Amino acid sequence: MTVLADPALAADARRERRFFLSLSLPALFIVGLAAILPILWIIRQSFLTTGGEYTVGNYEKVLSSGLTWSALVTTLELSLGTLAICILLGTPLALALASARPRVANLLMAFVMLPLWTSILVRTYGWLVLLRRDGLINATLTGSGLTAEPLPLVYNFTGTLIGMVHYMLPLFLLPVYAAMRDIDANLVRASASMGATLGQTIRTVILPLSAGGIFSGSIIVFIYTIGFFITPAVLGGGKVNPLSTRIERTLSTFQDWGSASVLGILLLVLMALVGVMFLAARRLIAGRSIGTAHA
Amino acid sequence: MSWLRISLTALAFSAAVPVYAQSVTITTAGGDYGNAMKEAMWAPAAKELGYDVREETLSDGLAALKMQVTSGAVTTDVIHLGSPEGAQAAAQSLLEPLDYKIIDPKAVPDGAKSDYCYPFDSYGTVMSWNTKTYGENPPKTWAEFWDVAKFPGRRALRANAQDSIEIALLSDGVAPADVYSVLSTPEGLDRAIKRLEAIKPNVAVWWTSGAQSAQLLKDGEADLVVTWNGRAQTVKADGGAVDYTFKGSVIGTDCLGVPKGAPNKEAAMKLIAAMTQPARVAKLTDFIAYGPVNPAGYEGGLIPEDRLKTLATAPENAGTSVFSNADWWVKNGEAAQKTFDEMMAR
Repeated sequence: MTVLADPALAADARRERRFFLSLSLPALFIVGLAAILPILWIIRQSFLTTGGEYTVGNYEKVLSSGLTWSALVTTLELSLGTLAICILLGTPLALALASARPRVANLLMAFVMLPLWTSILVRTYGWLVLLRRDGLINATLTGSGLTAEPLPLVYNFTGTLIGMVHYMLPLFLLPVYAAMRDIDANLVRASASMGATLGQTIRTVILPLSAGGIFSGSIIVFIYTIGFFITPAVLGGGKVNPLSTRIERTLSTFQDWGSASVLGILLLVLMALVGVMFLAARRLIAGRSIGTAHA
Repeated sequence: MSWLRISLTALAFSAAVPVYAQSVTITTAGGDYGNAMKEAMWAPAAKELGYDVREETLSDGLAALKMQVTSGAVTTDVIHLGSPEGAQAAAQSLLEPLDYKIIDPKAVPDGAKSDYCYPFDSYGTVMSWNTKTYGENPPKTWAEFWDVAKFPGRRALRANAQDSIEIALLSDGVAPADVYSVLSTPEGLDRAIKRLEAIKPNVAVWWTSGAQSAQLLKDGEADLVVTWNGRAQTVKADGGAVDYTFKGSVIGTDCLGVPKGAPNKEAAMKLIAAMTQPARVAKLTDFIAYGPVNPAGYEGGLIPEDRLKTLATAPENAGTSVFSNADWWVKNGEAAQKTFDEMMAR
């Protein structure tokens, strides 16, 4: 920021900053009310017995239970699986979109965005219709003789993963696409003129320059999927039980608000950890690419 | 002038309702079920007793009961709960003990008795199957449900220990009357869980809502489904290739209780006694397929012959049934569910 010599101008700038800050107050108020207060309430609840006395028993109970850890493993498997597939499918798609002519790119983008405008519940049940035993996909497979028996596509881990990838792919794609579109076309041309193959250009120019977008997309995918409930509940057939369904069971079957709060806090901590890890990794990579640029 | 209006209203009110009329408030679940209870049960009972009965409707009875009792502002005299909720409420001292000098204790079969919440109607957790898969020869017992060699096909069970562990023991040859005494031993619970683990590879779906179980049946996603009789009956009535049996069903009940500190306790007991008379609980089936708990409700042609086969507690259906024991579930439910969840996670 430039230093303003004139004290009157400086006062003006201060007034302006105060004004902008006051404009953000309603938003801060809502965020505080809608996000921070409930979190504080959950933290308090996690230290209370059903009788309302203070205890650390809820933590002991939840953290010593094998069910918590198996739910945690399932949560991570689902999130990492979704993320891996999103990267594998989404990055080439973003590359295709970014390199297409604007009119084609807009059309393709509309197809990508369409599912985003549909309710997750509708989409999840839609997958049920497609994937179930006598669903469209299995009917085609068995009808054409490609498989003798219907494939187990839903009510298991596979079905849950399909539903989650379908939901997350557009959200992953957006930042990656934005990053790739912003790459200076001259850099790509330069790399080609220096004799790089397409593969080399992608590896040494495009991917490093869109790493920021891929990182943002990955954080979005991870943070979203850690708390997914509807998709595993509907497409998992009771066999896929991440932390979210564990919380639901703790509340509805046991009315154990204390333990459910502990599980909620576990989710929050997990998200914070993942967020910090991603940010650290991002800084590391950014630092290294600057380093190599200077070398 | 508002004081005048108030006193005029009071006058008008006392003219409409005789001053000696006892007023009682009943809380039901509302909807079709609530209306059925009004038409068949409490409206005629109120008329007989000369009570002025007011109705409140709530979808989560236990939560409301807990709030009323813990805040010391009890407005309802009679509350309608599921029996496990009733037992839970009793365990948390939210209910008055039932006055069995006023209410007939003999009207309830032994397995369904409760000191706090009076069971009056029932539903069954039953075995249902796809008639396209099994034709005229479906499994007839839970042992056959477990026999995947003789009856190949995909199973669907509820992702909950409740009813599942009872069924697992029945399939293992435990007599209906012994189910809860066996379950009360640690070995008994393990036996049930092992039995569920044995069928697990053949369970295509562990369902979590009644509507989902009906969908699985209707779509043929599963060939053998454990579900509630109302759900199976609905799919069957809609023309689905589905049938079900009450043989070996686990019968759950709904009950009536009196909140602790209810303003009209004695009148509430009298209303419960009157509204659960055999003719009235039998009449309930005119409106909804929930049969009486009281065996006398099935006598003297109170319920038409052809309707009996759709009711879980009809005499020819209930012989091989287990009454879900709400008190057992309050005491052991959390441990049983935990063991069940661990089996699911393995």
